Amino acid sequence: MYPKPLTYRRARTLDEAFSFLSENEDARVIAGGQSIMPMLKLRIASPSLLVDIAPIRELHEIRMEGNEIIIGAMVTHREIIESREIKSNIPMLQETARHIADVQIRNRGTLGGSICEADPSADYTPTLLVLDARVTLKSAKGERTVSLDDFLVGPFEVDIKQGEILTSVIIPVNRSAYSVVKYARRAADFAVASMAALVEKKTDGTVSDIRVAVGAQSDRPLRLRDLESELTGIKPQKRDLHLAVEKAVEGLEPIDDIHGSADYRKEVTSNILKANLGSLIFGGDSK
Amino acid sequence: MTVVNIKINGKKYSDDIEDRTLLVHFIRDHARLRGTHIGCDTGHCGACTVLLNDRPVKSCQILAVQVDGESIETVESLEGSDGKLSIEQEAFREHFAMQCGYCTSGFLMMTHHLIREYPELSREEIREKLHGNYCMCTGYQQIVDAVQDAQKRHNDKKS
Ligand SMILES: Cc1cc2nc3c(=O)[nH]c(=O)nc-3n(C[C@H](O)[C@H](O)[C@H](O)COP(=O)(O)OP(=O)(O)OC[C@H]3O[C@@H](n4cnc5c(N)ncnc54)[C@H](O)[C@@H]3O)c2cc1C
Ligand code: FES
Ligand code: FES
Repeated sequence: MYPKPLTYRRARTLDEAFSFLSENEDARVIAGGQSIMPMLKLRIASPSLLVDIAPIRELHEIRMEGNEIIIGAMVTHREIIESREIKSNIPMLQETARHIADVQIRNRGTLGGSICEADPSADYTPTLLVLDARVTLKSAKGERTVSLDDFLVGPFEVDIKQGEILTSVIIPVNRSAYSVVKYARRAADFAVASMAALVEKKTDGTVSDIRVAVGAQSDRPLRLRDLESELTGIKPQKRDLHLAVEKAVEGLEPIDDIHGSADYRKEVTSNILKANLGSLIFGGDSK
Repeated sequence: MTVVNIKINGKKYSDDIEDRTLLVHFIRDHARLRGTHIGCDTGHCGACTVLLNDRPVKSCQILAVQVDGESIETVESLEGSDGKLSIEQEAFREHFAMQCGYCTSGFLMMTHHLIREYPELSREEIREKLHGNYCMCTGYQQIVDAVQDAQKRHNDKKS
């Protein structure tokens, strides 16, 4: 399969990329290409201009700034798995990247590309929501930073304007006990259900901070804020957890497709939440 | 149209190509190296796997213009100049790790990469590393056998 005829431009700097993007109304960014290439070949997308941002050096950086880690948009899934800084400061993100696709895709696919693609079943987003990540967007006109929660709009839709480039992801350091679970039918598939969670407990067992997000259960990944507030500040019993999970899952409206019916997805979500929040809250300190 | 220079198996190939040309088409139709196959054309099956600067990638998922100036290795690079099979090819042949052979060039390039990247891999780890390669014939057992054997041959040769 061939994409429709198109023009390809390689940007060496952000300014060059902004100027290419402004040349053409339907110009699109290409990063790792692992999501956009199938779309081009199936002609679901047919931009007349592709602007390659891979050569832009600053988009490849991973650096610390105070208590936050800043990861460039062009950092690949493989680089996330291999980064020492990410391993020691946000081990949860590293664990998440290991579940994405396969070796070959992980060598090319990028953090920024995955976020901008906004597949409701993608792996990074539940984890990044739980980590309270923010994204920085730049354009010829200036720059803005928004929370990932606000940036994710709907299926394959983010709050990005023509001419803007996602340049980096800002993540507060977090070494709390965590759990990342992906449930897929076959190896390397997208999730049928997924969850990411962090729990902080006081020495007496009171939950001081709990953050939970689920993927593949709605038109976008969701933080379960009601469940979080119900379990915070108490020493939950198993019953409390199960009731909170059931209530949260009740409110979900998952997609219903060949990979899993809506009921099946809810059932799996309920089970993985109960089991994994349970082990974070009741057993062992970290995973 | 763009003029690209891509090194494949140590040899430079230069051509004026349409920007939409996929790397796998550049390899097959411009460099006329037909060992790299197109299976699914959607990034799933791994039949088109080649090494880009020593790392495995799916060549149906990349535009040739994206890798202008870079270095590619395809299955044709494995066989020695004397026509001798490489250790990966020997291992696949000996373990009967192919039937129709359509997927084999992708698996061979993965094997070539894995045995150099890791000194040791368990059967479980080999299966995990091969998630991106589908084989419709063998049932994978013999492929895992072959990768383990290739790894042993590679390590023996080194020591
Ligand atoms: C076979 C297969 C299996 C997969 N399995 C999984 C999986 O299990 N889990 C998972 O999470 N993902 C999976 N993916 C998707 C994969 O993770 C992609 O790499 C990722 O979604 C996109 O990253 P990319 O760099 O390749 O983006 P591209 O394909 O280059 O771009 C994707 C989109 O984002 C836009 N874009 C990219 N970067 C920017 C930027 N910096 N600023 C503004 N816009 C930008 C592009 O214009 C395009 O619209 C799979 C993909 C394939 C082909
Ligand atoms: S042909 Fe490229 S992955 Fe199947
Ligand atoms: S040998 Fe036929 S697909 Fe693998």
